[in-house]
Amino acid sequence: MSLLRPALLSVAMIAIAVGVLGADYALGQATLVTTYAIAGLGLVIIVGQAGQITLGQGALVALGAYVEALLAVRGVPPLLSMPLAVLLGAAGGALASVPAWRLGGLYFAMSTLAFALIVEEMLVRWTSLTRGGAGLSVPAMAWGGLKADTPLEQVVVSVGVLSLVWLACARWMRGRLGRAWRAVREDEIAAAEACGIDVGAAKLHAFVLGGGLAGLAGALYAHWIGFISPEQFGLTFSFELLMLVFIGGARRLSGALWGALVIVSLPQLIALVRDALPGDSSRSAGLETMLFGAVIVLAVLLRPQGLASAAEGGRRRGRGRAPY
Amino acid sequence: MLSLIQVLTSGIAIGCVYGLVALSFVLIYKATETVSFMQGELLMVGAFAAVALNAGAGWPLWLAAATAVAGMALLGAMLERIVLRHAIGQPHLVAVLLTFGLGLIMRGGLTTVPAASHDIYRLPFADRVLQVGALALSFSHVLVIAATAALAVVLAVFFRHTRAGLALRACSENARVASLMGVPVEAMHTLAWALGAGLAAIAGVLLAPITFVHLNMGLIALKAFPAAVLGGLTSLPGALLGGVFLGVVEALAGLALPEGVKDVVPYAVLMLALFLFPDGLSSGWRGRR
Amino acid sequence: MPVFRAFVALVIALSALVAAAATPGVSDREIVLGSIQDLSGPAAMLGSPVRDGMLLRLEEANEAGGVHGRKLRMVLEDSGYDPKRGVLAARKLLDHDQVFAFLANFGTPVVMATMPLIVEAGRPHLFPFSPHESTYSPLHPLKFQIFAPYQRYMDAATRYMVQSRGYRRTCLLYQDDDYGLEVLKGVEAGLARVGQALVEKTSYKRGATDFSSQIARLRAADCDFVVLATVVRETIAAMSEARKTGWMVDMLVTASGYSAQTHELGGMAVDGLYAVSVLPHPYAAGANRALADWIKRYRARFGVDPNVWSAMGYSIADLFVRGARAAGRELTVARFVSALEHLETTRDFFGSPEYHFSGEDHLGNRYGRLAQIRDGRWVILTDYLK
Repeated sequence: MSLLRPALLSVAMIAIAVGVLGADYALGQATLVTTYAIAGLGLVIIVGQAGQITLGQGALVALGAYVEALLAVRGVPPLLSMPLAVLLGAAGGALASVPAWRLGGLYFAMSTLAFALIVEEMLVRWTSLTRGGAGLSVPAMAWGGLKADTPLEQVVVSVGVLSLVWLACARWMRGRLGRAWRAVREDEIAAAEACGIDVGAAKLHAFVLGGGLAGLAGALYAHWIGFISPEQFGLTFSFELLMLVFIGGARRLSGALWGALVIVSLPQLIALVRDALPGDSSRSAGLETMLFGAVIVLAVLLRPQGLASAAEGGRRRGRGRAPY
Repeated sequence: MLSLIQVLTSGIAIGCVYGLVALSFVLIYKATETVSFMQGELLMVGAFAAVALNAGAGWPLWLAAATAVAGMALLGAMLERIVLRHAIGQPHLVAVLLTFGLGLIMRGGLTTVPAASHDIYRLPFADRVLQVGALALSFSHVLVIAATAALAVVLAVFFRHTRAGLALRACSENARVASLMGVPVEAMHTLAWALGAGLAAIAGVLLAPITFVHLNMGLIALKAFPAAVLGGLTSLPGALLGGVFLGVVEALAGLALPEGVKDVVPYAVLMLALFLFPDGLSSGWRGRR
Repeated sequence: MPVFRAFVALVIALSALVAAAATPGVSDREIVLGSIQDLSGPAAMLGSPVRDGMLLRLEEANEAGGVHGRKLRMVLEDSGYDPKRGVLAARKLLDHDQVFAFLANFGTPVVMATMPLIVEAGRPHLFPFSPHESTYSPLHPLKFQIFAPYQRYMDAATRYMVQSRGYRRTCLLYQDDDYGLEVLKGVEAGLARVGQALVEKTSYKRGATDFSSQIARLRAADCDFVVLATVVRETIAAMSEARKTGWMVDMLVTASGYSAQTHELGGMAVDGLYAVSVLPHPYAAGANRALADWIKRYRARFGVDPNVWSAMGYSIADLFVRGARAAGRELTVARFVSALEHLETTRDFFGSPEYHFSGEDHLGNRYGRLAQIRDGRWVILTDYLK
């Protein structure tokens, strides 16, 4: 079971974390881990399944976050606004995938980078709507009398949403869509000619679903963080997401959760280790960045297929040279 | 008209820096099929090394700069031997993340030095204004343009007329065949990284008088990607020209287009170029390489 | 009944313990403080000196025996300007480290994301580095601020400059983020009050290298006064570009460009630049005794020269120490807040403004002064502009 082990492990880790760290801190982390995992699932589909590199996923998360923020401020209930956030994320994904009709590999990756930077610039410039670089405050998620503003409530919502989309993703991956994606990933020409797969449509589907998931994650992120501004969704964020699926293992859904755990919780863990060490902690900021970098390098060197593959008995290295 | 030329020269100078970074990126990519996301960090560390040797250790500027560049080349070679070698033959993303991680290590390492995280530095280049008729050129811009032109000539000679250069090219075209012809492919990979890191350091030293030396100067490498892609990702002259083109377009857009459009222009141009020429702007150059 | 008395004694002792633990971060021996800084992100160059300035003041207080016998300990977290890490850091400091108060949290995105959590948990949110108005307004018992929004300083400074020097065509070069937009509002408001309007404005992205097109644009608009919403490097680049092309227009930069680095790096090109200053730069040359001594201590402790950001960090920690002293031995949040609200400071050896809070107003200072670079160093021209 790809779901059970990381889920159990996460529960165990959360239990330990609650004991050691205090409930709110641990639950706050769990909230962000699950939210990042939702965006990570989108990348598992685009990168791990369909084999496309995208450097602009952060922009799709931004679209979702802004839709949710703008609607929540105007009192639109989340049951209405979140689907709209998903929709805009999906539309953004579709738009970002247009160059894939003509471009492959790195060239396409660069076009997604350009796409992301253009979206970011749009958010900065459209000040009448987004308030530009000044950013937007986002109210707590609320529906009628219900409100999710404590870490416990937030984690319940995030885990609920993650479970739902996880099931949906598992379904897509098992079905025709998944087969088409994997065929495109392994060999585009063979997929098209030998199997009669519509390569363009397969890529488009991957981007639409991946973009939708990014939009969903963005909507949650906006509520949990409570303040959004364009620079939060820049290139660093896109990279963080890419790193997330890669370290976790891009070919499996569980990779998204593993990766989110590493990306969100690792810096926190490093900070705790630092607190435990004696000596002058005032110089440690650079050391923390260094350690984070070192962990990434080691993870990539030791587990080129991601943590999920290691946890599940270490499959062989991928054949051939898929673009991811 | 005067202000147009004025803006144009600034654009060319900045474009040369974009181009140099793009060049380092393409050099590595061509020879080792490794996408490096740490050229910005290499650039920054190189510039800081020059500052440390010049202001800290009191070496003359030229010696400090040359030593910093050589040191960065050495660092590039070492990183290839120890870490980056493992990315060869792996998916692109492996290299992307490895270099990103190494970049974080370099950046973090520098942040631990109090002097580096507290301050902005300059290299004592003569900071004059050269008057050419009514045109006022800053010395640092002229220096960048001249140094880039000189480097282009040196590299052209290197790749055409030296054994190592020819071997490196052979290796980039087809590593298997090159290895059958007796080219030490592994050594060539090391050489490519050394050159790539050294070039980034040169870009850093040249950028120092324009933006000064500080922890975030490596951000400029973000513009090098569009430049490299505009040049077709595998063409060295293309990368350089792509950089200059980008610098000029950016500068002119800032002058002529409505406020705020300037920052989108490089990426819009990139999108357009990708659509019109999926193989890069330099696809026409192919025959000459 | 000895057993009963022992039981009562135990209950009293326990409740005393509980009462002592009721104020988080305050024990018999120490007061724990938290701070979320940017030590590795885009503003690390400001975050590091702020941190060091605060540490220096706290260490001095501890050497002098602490505050009412309690040592001060600061737990620092690095957010890298990322609100996600900021939120997690805030939760860690609240929950795990149980800090008494937050000092000088850095960066608008981080402050906006963490401030609600902090005040919700009942901890004071003191003197953050964010020009956002919500750090002190509307009045909240736990929010205190000493840095007014840029808008306020720039409104007054622009008016003063235009009125005293008779400019007719004011223009603006700004960074396209929250900082630049704040300044834009302030400059427009200041001009409106003297019956003028902004003639031209142009922006750049953080990290931009070349300002030739922006300067050419402003020059084409025939500006006679240019306000810069830039940071150090961009200030120098913009002014050098103008001077290089022979444009000798007067320029005024916000407090973000008021740094010794501006003239150290900019050289002759930035001579004559005006700036708003909220705290004078701690120059070693010509320093008063207390300041010279402070510079020596800072250098001995951290191995680098202090700058204006170090002085701000030091002042912030100093305000906390004063507040905690005035609150008395029985330190609680309510007592501390009340002590701050009655605090009146005088100008210190930095030449800082007088900080003053009250029950109705938690913004300690809202005025800046005008300074100018003359012969390679900042000279203060005016008193705090009301």
